[in-house]
Amino acid sequence: MTDTAIHAPVIHHEPGHGHDTSTGLSNPKLAMWVFLGSDCLLFGGLISTYLLLRHRSVAGLGPSDVFDIPFTSVSSFVLLMSSLTMALAVAAIVRGDVHRNRIWLGTTALLGAVFIGGQAYEFTTFYREGLGYTTNIFGSAFYTLTGFHGVHVSVGIIMLLSLLVMSLKGNLGPERAEAVEIVGLYWHFVDIVWILIFTIVYLIP
Amino acid sequence: MPRRLRYALVVPLALTLAACADKAPLDTLEPKGPRARSIDHLVNPVFLIAGVVFFAVQLGVLFVGWKFRQRKDDDGRLPAQTHGNFKLEIGWTILPALLLAGVAGASVLTLLDLEDHPTDSTEIKVIGQQWWWEYRYDVDGDGKDDIVTANDLVIPAGEPVSLSIQSRDVIHSFWIPALNGKRDAVPGRTHPLQIQADEPGVYRGQCTEFCGLSHAYMRMRVVALSPADYADWEANQQEGAKVPTDDLAAQGMDIFRTTCSGCHLVSGKGGNEDVFKGAALVSGAAPNLTHFASRGIFAGGVFDLWVDQDGNGEIDLDERGKELDVANLKAWLKNPPGQKPMAPDQARGMPNLNLSDVQINALVAYLETLE
Amino acid sequence: MAIVERPADTLALPSGEVRTHDPLGVFARPRAKTGWRAWVSTVDHKKIGIMYGAASLFFLLIGGVEALAIRTQLAAPEQKLFSAALYNQLFTMHGVTMIFLVVMPLGAAFMNYLIPLQIGARDVAFPRLNALSFWVFLFGGIFLNTSWLLGGGADGGWFAYAPNTGVVFSPGHGMDFYALGLQITGIASLVGGINLVTTCLNMRAPGMTLMKMPVFTWMSLVTQVLLVFAMPVISVALFLLTFDRLFDANFFNVAQGADPLLWEHLFWIFGHPEVYILILPAFGIVSEIIPVFSRKPIFGYPFMVFSGIAIGFMGWGVWAHHMFASGLGPISVAAFSVSTMFIAVPTGVKILNWMATMWGGKLSFPTPMLFAMGMVAMFTIGGLSGVTHAVAPADTQQTDTYYIVAHFHYVIFGGAFFVFMGGFYFWWPKVFGHFLDDRIGKLHFWLTMVGFNLTFGPMHILGLQGMSRRIHTYRDGYGFNFWNLVATVGAFIIALSVLVFGWNVVRSYRRRGLQPAPGPDPWDARSLEWSIPSPTPEHNFDDPPVVTQLDDWWHRKYAEDEHGNVIKVAEPEDIAMIGDGSRAHLPSPSYFPLILAAGLPLIGYGLIFNLAIAAVGGALTLAGFVGWALEPADDPDLPPHGGGGHDHDGDGSPDAAALEAPATDAPAVEEEVTVGD
Repeated sequence: MTDTAIHAPVIHHEPGHGHDTSTGLSNPKLAMWVFLGSDCLLFGGLISTYLLLRHRSVAGLGPSDVFDIPFTSVSSFVLLMSSLTMALAVAAIVRGDVHRNRIWLGTTALLGAVFIGGQAYEFTTFYREGLGYTTNIFGSAFYTLTGFHGVHVSVGIIMLLSLLVMSLKGNLGPERAEAVEIVGLYWHFVDIVWILIFTIVYLIP
Repeated sequence: MPRRLRYALVVPLALTLAACADKAPLDTLEPKGPRARSIDHLVNPVFLIAGVVFFAVQLGVLFVGWKFRQRKDDDGRLPAQTHGNFKLEIGWTILPALLLAGVAGASVLTLLDLEDHPTDSTEIKVIGQQWWWEYRYDVDGDGKDDIVTANDLVIPAGEPVSLSIQSRDVIHSFWIPALNGKRDAVPGRTHPLQIQADEPGVYRGQCTEFCGLSHAYMRMRVVALSPADYADWEANQQEGAKVPTDDLAAQGMDIFRTTCSGCHLVSGKGGNEDVFKGAALVSGAAPNLTHFASRGIFAGGVFDLWVDQDGNGEIDLDERGKELDVANLKAWLKNPPGQKPMAPDQARGMPNLNLSDVQINALVAYLETLE
Repeated sequence: MAIVERPADTLALPSGEVRTHDPLGVFARPRAKTGWRAWVSTVDHKKIGIMYGAASLFFLLIGGVEALAIRTQLAAPEQKLFSAALYNQLFTMHGVTMIFLVVMPLGAAFMNYLIPLQIGARDVAFPRLNALSFWVFLFGGIFLNTSWLLGGGADGGWFAYAPNTGVVFSPGHGMDFYALGLQITGIASLVGGINLVTTCLNMRAPGMTLMKMPVFTWMSLVTQVLLVFAMPVISVALFLLTFDRLFDANFFNVAQGADPLLWEHLFWIFGHPEVYILILPAFGIVSEIIPVFSRKPIFGYPFMVFSGIAIGFMGWGVWAHHMFASGLGPISVAAFSVSTMFIAVPTGVKILNWMATMWGGKLSFPTPMLFAMGMVAMFTIGGLSGVTHAVAPADTQQTDTYYIVAHFHYVIFGGAFFVFMGGFYFWWPKVFGHFLDDRIGKLHFWLTMVGFNLTFGPMHILGLQGMSRRIHTYRDGYGFNFWNLVATVGAFIIALSVLVFGWNVVRSYRRRGLQPAPGPDPWDARSLEWSIPSPTPEHNFDDPPVVTQLDDWWHRKYAEDEHGNVIKVAEPEDIAMIGDGSRAHLPSPSYFPLILAAGLPLIGYGLIFNLAIAAVGGALTLAGFVGWALEPADDPDLPPHGGGGHDHDGDGSPDAAALEAPATDAPAVEEEVTVGD
């Protein structure tokens, strides 16, 4: 507690960060919220496209031919858990626990990487089974939607690793807790989007 | 002249220059059938309201600018610093909203009316492709198309006609302004459109959805015939082509079978069904020419097939079958891509077949026999 | 951490100590205050605004030449000056250029320059991102236009309906340039949108609550919110088109079961908000100009704000009115017809409020006022023809004819472009420190007015007479000849008016010494940008202004006397800030936005021609990104101006912010407590 009390003024004096903005939200955090709002529309467009097209293929494999629900459920669970570890990372840095923050950042990145690995495995399996990107309209729509999500997760992993490097260099103290928080916002968003995609693409027939 | 009056309401310029409006076969404000007329009845009061608002605002701006201009003898004091008026604001929010609600209600009613599909309609499939229209009629209702024609959509006058609009390649839009509004031909979809012409006659149309190179030249007509003439036409169209007796035309038939039959079909005895290889084009097919000479225009409506004897700019019903516009037809056969922008190298449109003048003469003679 | 207690001044490095942060050891930190280096490395919102304006005017010339080519071809029937193939490229590129490279960035020019000034801020929220937006836009625009030299421009119309834009029907590279070029300029818009939304919400001066913001800033905020949400939708559409064209995907392949209406929906869900993105900044500018020259406050400020917001919301529910002939079915058409009707209401409210602002005022008519009043008149015509197409059955007669061409030119040219011209005359003294000549300005206005109406007025008639859009020629005997000729004459008058404007710019610059300097507030205006010297000093405000009411600056000049009469109590020269930047701290310039942006068109070329070029572009962008992340937002070697002040330069994209610190070693972190990251 003492720690927080000492550090609180630091954050408040940082220009453009918190108190002296008109909304009280720091600029980067507000910008991240705005960006995530925008990204909702990106996924909105992609998901609508997928919904419109998935049953329109005239040939080739369809969703029920390729999906391995148990496998994807596991990788979805992994991604879901990474949100938990992300929250723990934020909590740790706010407490000033740099060491635990590193552990949880690393774990989150690792879980994200496992998810991406799962996606890569899934894509190769589908491809071997005969569903290529150009095979039919379902293939194009499926790979594009999940691919865009995969790119988002990968960007998140890069951000997490950057935070980790900063932390290891001693540049990620509690006064920068907000940077972790902002990356966390992004990570949770990407996670929520996956829950949507998993439900819409995989679970709803 | 209500039409000119309406122009004047829409555009102040027309007030002074309205006299210049001349013959316009695509005019949207001269309906020649019940569907187009109901649109016209709907839009007239809207133009009127718009015209009133137009004058109010234009004169209002001028008046305010003149009345409240800073005078030469201005005392330098500020005008009253009014910040607003709540009641006024609410008023000029609600009043236009009510007015527009009325217009919206009328629009929706007309809209639903226009979609009404009479059960006794003549059903015709309209198929767009780059850059001409094909029409298919299933006369006996057995699911097989009995008449396949192009460019001139022949309908019975005074009777409802129901079109099913489709496309073979890109999006086109079928529009005969005198008969109804336009409806897009979207590949993979079938869109209904109801038309009806009051009187026998020719009604011009134009593809209105940008569809590539020759979009400007994708023209079509509706040819409305009296019920008796229509019955004759329908019977004739279901006949096969006749074998020409004339020597030159017979030569032409041979050239047609060797040179043109890859894309164009002439069905019936002496036709080329046996050698017809079907659609070689991305567009699906080239026009069916079985009754080529029964049409008024060709090449997607770019050219007149017959001579315009009364010089009114249109091949009227009675001008068909009189004097073939040989020059047009020869020029086309000589070098189609030079007459109309197309992409035959990408299998879209008619290529230059390097026909000799002798071959062209024979072909013209043959084509004229395809009545 | 003791540093917190240290007074700001003591953070200055001991003089003589050299500690350079050359990121990557390659680039010297840009320092130039003048010359081209100052421009390419600037992060100053004012320089960026000026560059947006200059770039838009440059693209205006290109789009204008395309327009003249179109009008020349259509001056008479059956002309074959340009082939159909070339004509299709001309009208496509004319539309794309005018919308994405002229009117949108003109709005961005005004918004960049004015938003920080109107809200009393020293810069935007993220100055380097702001520079990035500009460079990405510029390179995207150049990329799009280089298609002319590399096999021909896009030929599918700006609306690019599938499947006509697929490789089968548009086998050249034009549509690739379209898809990738708009994707690039879309990045610029999105980044700019996030930046300016954050700026409007977060950077307001003390006391400036949302309902004390000038109407222009309000309309800009709505515009930027629309951009933030509309851009990803067109991005999706463009991705699908790109994947179809370059990677053989099947999104618009009808043979594989695709439905071409998918593109139409995606395009217009973006496309209709886009219309409001074009016009809302103009609404804002009119709302600034008219009160000043009527010497009255804006009438019904809250209604002006809320009608703008209403337009912003309703703009999302009307997109299918572009598709009334597409075969949506009567129910959808009816719903969109009704919603479209009602979007006319808030627009009408604005027009009436402008009229009411002038009512009872003392009107003077310098050029900006003429353009503003011209806009009220001309935009109304566009609005009224808009109501006639909201009547869906009537629209099936009007859509895709010249009636529509007339409509949207009255809205975009007669609405937005008129006002941007007026805005130039209005803010020119603030930006450049000298007036544009008013007499030439009036000539400019009247030429524009006459040319504009001659060009687009007759198109109403042509459209109702049934002349289709996007046709490279028309047939004699359709009644189209006369009005087309008139329109062509009008187009050349517009071209002349643009030349007159150029002449005015040059002449006024040359003679700037001959006229009295404009002073801080030449028009006796109302908003905060007039409370600082002209031209605007680099640091904007000496100290952050404290705002107590709407039109705060005006109320510092005027007050009520004991009889309730409003009288002038202070001269602007006496109460304006003097331009003393000693208490200001500014974000440091950077090359990295330029470098990052420069890679994007190379990636575009690479995807079209050869992946090796894309690799180079990708490397450049990555290098720009890394350099950016490793570069502290503030140059540690610059002598500080003293601390304190109202600093706000927390720069960096969210992820860049996270990446930014590694290069700064421990001492640097300490300094950043005051200089920001």
